[in-house]
Amino acid sequence: MNLQQIQSKISSMEIDVLKAVQQRTLEKYTAGPSVEHARMFFLLLPFFDGKQWSGKIEASAKTVSIVYAALHAHDQVKEDAPVTKKQQLTVLAGDFYSGIYYHMLTNLKNIPLIQRIASAIVQVSEKKASFYEETVFSLAEIDETIEVIESELLTAFYDFYGYDEYTPLAKLMLNYLRYSEELECLQRDGHTHVLRLLKETLQYDLHTESWLLEKLDNLHDQIVKCVNGYAFDYELKHFMLHQITPHQHRAEQLTREG
Amino acid sequence: MEKMKLKLLYSDLKPELEMIEKELEQAVDSNSHLLNDASLHLLQAGGKRIRPVFVLLAGKFGNYNIDVMKQVAVPLELIHMASLVHDDVIDDSEMRRGQPTVKAQWNNSVAMYTGDFILARALEYITEVEIPSVHDILSKTMIEVCRGEIIQIEDKYKLDQNVRDYLRRIKRKTALLISSSCELGALVSGTDEKTAAHLRRFGYFIGMSFQIIDDILDFTSTDEELGKPAGSDFIQGNITLPVLFARKDEEIYRLLKESLYKELTDDERLHIVKMIRNSPAIKESKAISERYLNKAIKELSYLPKGTANKTMRNIALFIGKRKF
Repeated sequence: MNLQQIQSKISSMEIDVLKAVQQRTLEKYTAGPSVEHARMFFLLLPFFDGKQWSGKIEASAKTVSIVYAALHAHDQVKEDAPVTKKQQLTVLAGDFYSGIYYHMLTNLKNIPLIQRIASAIVQVSEKKASFYEETVFSLAEIDETIEVIESELLTAFYDFYGYDEYTPLAKLMLNYLRYSEELECLQRDGHTHVLRLLKETLQYDLHTESWLLEKLDNLHDQIVKCVNGYAFDYELKHFMLHQITPHQHRAEQLTREG
Repeated sequence: MEKMKLKLLYSDLKPELEMIEKELEQAVDSNSHLLNDASLHLLQAGGKRIRPVFVLLAGKFGNYNIDVMKQVAVPLELIHMASLVHDDVIDDSEMRRGQPTVKAQWNNSVAMYTGDFILARALEYITEVEIPSVHDILSKTMIEVCRGEIIQIEDKYKLDQNVRDYLRRIKRKTALLISSSCELGALVSGTDEKTAAHLRRFGYFIGMSFQIIDDILDFTSTDEELGKPAGSDFIQGNITLPVLFARKDEEIYRLLKESLYKELTDDERLHIVKMIRNSPAIKESKAISERYLNKAIKELSYLPKGTANKTMRNIALFIGKRKF
């Protein structure tokens, strides 16, 4: 499968997700459903890698994308913002998408997956809520929190269909993406809960930036090692390292090395 | 007091409801202290637990087994709770049942995660039920409830909407979940289809009546009785049945139109509440509620007589007369 085919499959899944959750008012007033391409890539990774893949599994992958969209919508609700139509409908968008995913999996008669996804949402919600608890986080706890938030749903999907072999790679890459976003935000002088926790633990902004840079380098090293441990074809490997987690210098180095 | 009276009507179910209360507490038990606190805060604020009650009562028409019934009763209440905590973000409500809301006590984000957590727990719970139609009904209901709320936001501040728009909205917003409670109770207890259909319709009619009364009480109760300011619905732009009837009076229509988009003082709010309370709109709204109530009671007449039937009838009659 070449790069274009991979991209086209992801786009096609995105269109299917948009169709499944289509609602006139939500489209008009909210940002609409959002699922990062990287997440959809990982949901489709077993297919790209030539694993056994059925229509039912693909439909389940779409429903997991819808769960991502539901949780993402609720992340967009501002902590203490005044009531606006957009905000009100964003709350409802998340609930509406949850209803759709439940209904889709019901139609697929896949009740055990609903249960597995619900357990993952419980864990993700607990970790997100932990940002508001007055506890001191160690760096390892921050890491664990990010890992659960970023990859628990995907892990549930992999576990359910016996694709666990991809879990370590997906975790590394999704963590990498999250830390990249945090770094970009820090460099823009932005604020996030993760940055606040890191700053509290590391004490200085400058420390936070160098810690994040080092973290990203370290994660990328692990990603390259991990990717090379799989029997992926060249195009798939290339897509992962250049499109999903581009880490300019190191990725170039790897390409040169072949 | 009113809640006490209502609870007396189903005192036969007390042991089962206590068991469900414990199950609810266990269901929201979390590794996160914050989610634990927020969920228990919601649970302890109380509530009529009318959805579990209807599940249990409907189950009495079939092979009643509390261990089976609770698999539906608990998640239905959890789904209702999750929607309340999100509704308070939508409505920017500070108080519910006389207690600060989760969003007021913590913030919007905590309320969002609490709702997501409770909803996920509900789904974890209900997926123990292996009857496919249970999931089909419940998932469709969840979608329709959201559609109802989306339409409610679309219809906000539209004083010129019609009664049919209002009825369609409350059907989705309230009646469907009560209707589903009755139907799911019937399904898991293995009643025949005809019985399940009568119970579903009973729940629907009761739900419609219940919401209309709720909307009337927003104008006829005091702030203290409601645990929030009277007229809150109108202040938030929700055009309910009493408003739709009251607008027939030109003076009230003008007043409502002028008031809809501005920040009202307490005196102005209370003036509107008083105008509507003293208008024929309350009586007219009650008449519509009564019509639904009679339809609900008629559905019961097709069902076998017995304690459950009698209790359902008494609840229906109580809903028609409740004061807050």
